[in-house]
Amino acid sequence: MSAPSLTPSKAGTPRHSPPRAAGSAPPAGRFAKNLKRNLTAHGFLIGAVVCFAVFSWYPMVREVLLAFQKTESGQTTWVGLENLATVLDDPAFWQAWRNTLLFTVLALILGFAVPFVVAVVINEFHHGQGYLRLLVYLPVMLPPVASVLLFKYLYDPGYGLLNELLRFLHLPEQQWLQDPDLSMLSVVIASTWMNMGGAALIYLAALQGIPGELYEAAELDGAGLFRKIWHVTIPQTRLILSLMLLMQIIATMQVFVEPFLLTGGAGPEGSTTTVVYLIYQYAFNFNNYGAAAALGLLLLVLLAGFSAVYVKLSRAEDE
Amino acid sequence: MRTARFRRTRRASAVAFVSAVTLTALAACGTSSSDNGGGSEGGGSSDPSAPLDPKTKVTLTIDCMPSAAKAAELKEWKEDVAEFNKTYPNVTIEGRSTPGQCLEPPRFTAMLKAKSQPDVFYTYFTDLPQVLDNDGAADISAYVTDKTVPLLKDIDPNVLGSLKQDGKLYGLPTSNYTMGLLVNRKLFKDAGLDPDAPPRTWDEVRAAAKKIAGLGNGIAGFGEYSAGNTGGWHFTAQMYSVGGEVVDASGKKAAFNNDLGKQVAKNLHAMRWEDDSMGKTQLLQWGDLQKQIATDKLGMFLAAPDDIAYMVQQLGAKYENFGMGPIPGAKNTLAGGNNYMIKKGISGDKIKAAVAWLNFKNLSVGKGQFAWARTKADGLPVGVPQPNFWLGESKTTDDAARVENATMPVANFKTFMDNPVAGKAEPPKAQEVYKVLDNVMSGLLTNKDADIDKLLATAETQVNQVLAHQ
Amino acid sequence: MSTRTLISPAQLAKPRAKALYRATFALVVGGFSLVFLGPLYWMVSSGFKDTQEVVRTPPTLVPGSFAPENYTRAWEVMDLSTLLFNTLYYAFGALAFQLVLDVAAAYSLSKLRPVFGKAILGGMLVTLMIPATVLVVPQYLTVLDVPVVERNLLNTPWAIWLPAVTNAFSIFLLKRFFDSIPKELLDAAAMDGASPLRILRSIVLPISRPILGVVSIFAVVGVWKDFLWPMLTLPDPSKQTLNVGIYSLSTGVPVNVLIAALTIASVPTLLIFLVFQRNIMSGLTAGGLKG
Repeated sequence: MSAPSLTPSKAGTPRHSPPRAAGSAPPAGRFAKNLKRNLTAHGFLIGAVVCFAVFSWYPMVREVLLAFQKTESGQTTWVGLENLATVLDDPAFWQAWRNTLLFTVLALILGFAVPFVVAVVINEFHHGQGYLRLLVYLPVMLPPVASVLLFKYLYDPGYGLLNELLRFLHLPEQQWLQDPDLSMLSVVIASTWMNMGGAALIYLAALQGIPGELYEAAELDGAGLFRKIWHVTIPQTRLILSLMLLMQIIATMQVFVEPFLLTGGAGPEGSTTTVVYLIYQYAFNFNNYGAAAALGLLLLVLLAGFSAVYVKLSRAEDE
Repeated sequence: MRTARFRRTRRASAVAFVSAVTLTALAACGTSSSDNGGGSEGGGSSDPSAPLDPKTKVTLTIDCMPSAAKAAELKEWKEDVAEFNKTYPNVTIEGRSTPGQCLEPPRFTAMLKAKSQPDVFYTYFTDLPQVLDNDGAADISAYVTDKTVPLLKDIDPNVLGSLKQDGKLYGLPTSNYTMGLLVNRKLFKDAGLDPDAPPRTWDEVRAAAKKIAGLGNGIAGFGEYSAGNTGGWHFTAQMYSVGGEVVDASGKKAAFNNDLGKQVAKNLHAMRWEDDSMGKTQLLQWGDLQKQIATDKLGMFLAAPDDIAYMVQQLGAKYENFGMGPIPGAKNTLAGGNNYMIKKGISGDKIKAAVAWLNFKNLSVGKGQFAWARTKADGLPVGVPQPNFWLGESKTTDDAARVENATMPVANFKTFMDNPVAGKAEPPKAQEVYKVLDNVMSGLLTNKDADIDKLLATAETQVNQVLAHQ
Repeated sequence: MSTRTLISPAQLAKPRAKALYRATFALVVGGFSLVFLGPLYWMVSSGFKDTQEVVRTPPTLVPGSFAPENYTRAWEVMDLSTLLFNTLYYAFGALAFQLVLDVAAAYSLSKLRPVFGKAILGGMLVTLMIPATVLVVPQYLTVLDVPVVERNLLNTPWAIWLPAVTNAFSIFLLKRFFDSIPKELLDAAAMDGASPLRILRSIVLPISRPILGVVSIFAVVGVWKDFLWPMLTLPDPSKQTLNVGIYSLSTGVPVNVLIAALTIASVPTLLIFLVFQRNIMSGLTAGGLKG
């Protein structure tokens, strides 16, 4: 597969990989011109590169250094694996990984699949699409902290609207955020409500680009609704689906504000403590930047492995 | 038109343009350069103990100014600044305010790390070691004398002691507290309990909570925090109340994973799950219980008396509705407080101005926060027993002024006043320890099948880790 | 909608299918309205309840009390105008920096192809894989004392603007888009002697309007949604963003005033959205992230 092509407005331009400039190396005599071309090109690049260098690459290096350092009343010393040992000894360590895994699974089921289903459904309607799109996107426009605090109010076991709804439907009331078994799901539901609009709209655009003949052809083969989805809709939107999957995983790893405000971060019995929250806690509650960096490094290694696999897969399909 | 020369200039200008943007971006960030005028120590008079020369022109930034949500206190703050400026017309007080808590531990940690604290900054008594670790506060011993702070001799030495390290003074107190049991008198009456005799033991608390919760309508009998470090803070208070410790005398080992710890934990768990008297909503933190009790949804909780001012002013509560008893158990009570420190590295004149302001606002009987007649006129509660860090003559004068202007029925605090409990300071690395103990609280209050032994053992490991990391 | 979708028009024409379609439609419209407008109704109406009613169990669906003073008080306490101004200032500043620097970079990587270009792009894309929260500590330390220039960016807009430029996803989107612009188009212009900057301005940018729209929305939304970073880097209450300001408020006022404040804070952007929804929607979708 290739990354998504964003077709320029001059529609119909065939999508093909750009010509490789490296293939046409200039003759040696045009060295000066080449130099100038490079200078210009780097001139355009320099702004972004400086920003990346200062605010991304340098902090990445520093992260690694911090993981092996300790700062005591202004004195920084090398401590080898001590920070890592601290992190591994922490009873919250494995719990945080379990929670992160659970959160990722839930976020993928809800945060990734729900907007897709919503887009497929909306796309089938011949009227009211504008209204439905508007609804789905509405929460994205609210200040996230306002949405989260609103959900906290909705989730309240006593005066919250959700339990009232359950009572109305004669279903058992839930403890939502206060129940260690339910708290993570509640966080993910709130997060999905707040954020699904963007993804749903992007899916919708992708769905509208599927040529209708494909469905007709599938029907001629006798395909039913689900087979059409499986054999036409999903393959046709696969590129965008995999891109959104990637984005969803990244977003999942970043999630902070929802658990921080809904469950105070750690949650009931630490049930919403994710690895990322644990990092925050080391750094800003325990003032232990070394441990925060060591845990961050572990997460980085894991994600690096993950992205290597991803890149390999995508390259394999690109060729 | 498209000559070669033109082309070259355009290209060059493109390069220049993009790089210029970046460079300006980086170079123009000069608004807050990292050095804050350090080194200019002792401008003006070189004698630190001499009071501030009124002609000196300085600007002081200070946090924890009352926010718009505290309209009455904000009005008083402004009046005080105007009054102060009559003596020191050249001192500009630049206040910063935030509607919530002035100090949130994680943000405070980040602020110290960044050295971004204002010239005069608010802290809890327990923050001193962390501030000094970050080299954040100036040693003001030489600046604080009976000339600059005339009532210095009447300030409780225990209170000042919590602002000292190795004999050096790093802050001036604004308030101190010991914890007691705050009760909602209306709910006590409704439940057939005597609001003038709040429960004195944890068994009595449990029984009373059960009765109050029996009123229904989502009313809880007893409330506890379990997030934002305040859960751990209150767990500590409960441990102290039954004669326990949280950190042992060496300051290196957790001391709550024992029978007393289990007793506290079991009692809470039983109240939450057997009696269902602690309400369904948990993961509460500072501010939440006050909201509940102010709306008559909560019968009692552990609190410092100054919570009442907050509830009256920000939550629109009626002060007659509250009363207070000593902490149940009464073996010890958690004692704490807050204060202002002065940023290290600011000029001598600024330090003098800061001391002058803090003296005027917080350490003068009859003025600033102790101008009780004004407090009464502004509709704020007077007659609450704390903050009170005065001794000797100042105490006599101040207590008399409190009684004279009292708006709180004194009887509501009688049991609290008549039964003083020995104060006990907070543990070392208090905020970190509290953060860990939050989990014990949230476990007890959110999980019916909580494994108390495991909760305490896990927290013990984590607290030991925190204490080991210096 | 004239395009053919999952369900064939022929199938839909059957009477039974028509009824089913209508039923589903009604169900979806009703359900969506409930799910997405319900909480908003709850927010606005709870803001009108008095302190007692707002925490009543069970809650009341229609306010039994009417306390519009919550809104007045919330307005006084919150200082919304400052918070909103700050947030927009940071958001549009970040947008400007991203548009200038990231477009220039993507253009260079796509069309000018300098040496090490691929390595630089790779270095940028790597950052996509790293959760921002992991880097928050070293990034925070960096902002406190920016290497080389030795500046402390705390409490300045630069702490938001400059890190916003390191948006690898935008660069990636832009570069992919520029890649698909036919080379012949640019070569012709270059033959005519147009400089790269001129080509960028008069050929590339006009074609790229859709993707610029997408990137702009991402840039603004990114700042709009951010919480942890501005909370750490803008500690001065007068410089805070809307999110951090509401968060500070949450412990300091009664529940009904807080909810009124949430409503007030949501109104400006909801209005902007409703007025410009066509542009925003088409910006997001016409960008046509097509499979």
